[in-house]
Amino acid sequence: MRLCLSAAVAGGKLSSLMSKFAGGRGSSLPGVVARRIYPHALRELSTQGKKGIIMVTGTNGKTTTNNMLAKVIEADGHRVIYNEEGANLITGVTACFVRYSTLTGKVEFDYASLEVDEASFPKVVKEVQPNIVVVTNFFRDQLDRYGELDKTVQVVRDSLKELKDVTLVLNADDPLVAQLGVTTGHNAVYYGIAQQQGMERAVAQTRESRFCPQCGAELQYKYYHYSQLGDYSCESCDFKRPRPDVEGSEINITEGTYIAEVCHSGECSSLNLHTTGFYNLYNGLAAFAVGRILDIDLTTIQEGLKMYSPGIGRMERFRYNEKPCFLNLVKNPTGYNEGLATLLSLPGTKDVFMALNDNAADGRDISWIWDVDFEILAKHQQELEHFICSGTRAEEIALRLKYAGVPTTKINIIRELGDAIPAVLQGEGETVYFFSTYTALWPSQRILGSLAEKEGQHAVGMSSVS
Amino acid sequence: MLSVCHLYPDLLNLYGDRGNVIAFLQRCRWRGIPVDLQEVNMGDNINFSQIDFLFLGGGSDREQNLMAADLGKHRDKLAQAIDDGLVVLSICGGYQLLGQYYRTLDGKEIPGLGILDHYTEAGEKRLIGNVAIEMELDGRKVKATGFENHGGKTILKDDVKPLGKVLSGYGNNGEDGYEGARYKNVFCSYLHGPLLPKNQELTDYLIKQALKRRGMEEKLTAIDDSVEQSANERMLKRLIKGA
Ligand SMILES: [Zn+2]
Repeated sequence: MRLCLSAAVAGGKLSSLMSKFAGGRGSSLPGVVARRIYPHALRELSTQGKKGIIMVTGTNGKTTTNNMLAKVIEADGHRVIYNEEGANLITGVTACFVRYSTLTGKVEFDYASLEVDEASFPKVVKEVQPNIVVVTNFFRDQLDRYGELDKTVQVVRDSLKELKDVTLVLNADDPLVAQLGVTTGHNAVYYGIAQQQGMERAVAQTRESRFCPQCGAELQYKYYHYSQLGDYSCESCDFKRPRPDVEGSEINITEGTYIAEVCHSGECSSLNLHTTGFYNLYNGLAAFAVGRILDIDLTTIQEGLKMYSPGIGRMERFRYNEKPCFLNLVKNPTGYNEGLATLLSLPGTKDVFMALNDNAADGRDISWIWDVDFEILAKHQQELEHFICSGTRAEEIALRLKYAGVPTTKINIIRELGDAIPAVLQGEGETVYFFSTYTALWPSQRILGSLAEKEGQHAVGMSSVS
Repeated sequence: MLSVCHLYPDLLNLYGDRGNVIAFLQRCRWRGIPVDLQEVNMGDNINFSQIDFLFLGGGSDREQNLMAADLGKHRDKLAQAIDDGLVVLSICGGYQLLGQYYRTLDGKEIPGLGILDHYTEAGEKRLIGNVAIEMELDGRKVKATGFENHGGKTILKDDVKPLGKVLSGYGNNGEDGYEGARYKNVFCSYLHGPLLPKNQELTDYLIKQALKRRGMEEKLTAIDDSVEQSANERMLKRLIKGA
């Protein structure tokens, strides 16, 4: 057995090396190769952990939550391994273990923290037994249409039911997620955000589910945070937003830093996140909740979360001369709306870059941009200098802006990313904000990185002091 | 004043199709044509005589069933209004619903509203991809582009004309080369994208029909359509050699 595993690991590592020579990113390839050589590779590697396995699944926020969580566990002195951004199918999860394994198939870790694609979740949990599963939210992605979301929720629910001795960490504000506590019968810890005062957000037109997951009646809402997230209850049955065990409330956003208050069993403290975006508060709360389940003390959790810095395209920060630049990956209307809200929450005037590609990984149908509330931009015209539209469907995003009421004099179409990015950096605005769909993200980041300075953790920490 | 009615926006709001309503409204506003929007949800009353442009989209199966049940209650009044020349745009699931029936793979016939004479059969595979069509508006040939994603194959009977001919893509059923349907002032299509924003000539045609029906001046002032044209042309170039 050992021999097979060892061959699988060696094969995986070799393939990774070769693909790096060939210039590829190769983050899942070692997993593909290892599984082909020895199908039990993942099962055998993943059982070597000393303490436990945590999985993060859901539509948005998997990568951020998982990275925050890893920082929290590391801060408590444990060795944690986690998968690379986007490598969240079963091959990517396998690749993660292969990467940390010795050639004899031994892998040393206390915890593994794994982001797992919703559709791959059943497959992964057949081979890896999680102790904690975080479910962030369920939104419709541009890739799945016509009832696919219902199917996704069902698939996750059914495979959760099969698990034994697992604790769920669930978003209380999302009815599609919160129902998993009751419907799976597992022990659940809920996190959520209290009602907010006076924050302007894009009007949420895209609500996934206004129907009770238990009885099908329409849900009543006291308030919405965004999309279907809020305080809901069903009039026909007893389904309602569970009281969060970990509840956050928004206090303050300064440049690049988010300060929130978080309360847990009657104890309240403040939480500093080096990122912006309301949705990131949810990710921070989920990481906080897992930290508490693992008995990590409050100060250590706070320290850990402070160490987090956003990954590629997750409000990644650059500086061009003196100008702050933000890079934001957008995949679906909910994420885009939240990105727009973040853009508008930044001080001063802005130039905006919007790249829209329609390759398979972006979704070939770009209709979803019409479900984004770009109309909010027309109301804030005075602080928005120019929009540079780029990518394989640059004209479509320009068209969307035009019909949202943005004056065409402010809209430019520059198809090539290599021409568009320098142009937007040279704009009049005090800040530049980049929106990009998936396949335009890597090239955009590379071009931006060659022109502007990437802001590291240190620089972010500094700016939060000032 | 033109009145636009968006049917079930709460239910059928996830496929970008509300862009059709946005396009109609904006192209009226840019020309100073007074226009208002009514959003009709389940259980609401609909006064068809006060509507100039009706938009009906599609949704997932569950949403589609709810919509069909509610719209069924208004069936006769809607049929009457259509007979009187109401301007309607109906996309995908809404298109299917206006027809006679939808036949599932196991042969079950789910009745439609039966206002237009077409029917739909479930196909073995979904028809998905970019589409280019050519249609005729006011005697002019116009090319339109969009994105289709449907499991049903629609077949038109004698009284119903297609909206256009397929230049690239599947269209109604992937076989007869037709896309969409046209009957009186009703326009049906499988094209998302959404259809109206970058196919502005169709949008303007619908606005003109609505104005004409109210006895209002139907000549439209010109708008700079360069963004619309470049979006459309880019897709045409990709789909058709030599376009
Ligand atoms: Zn209920």
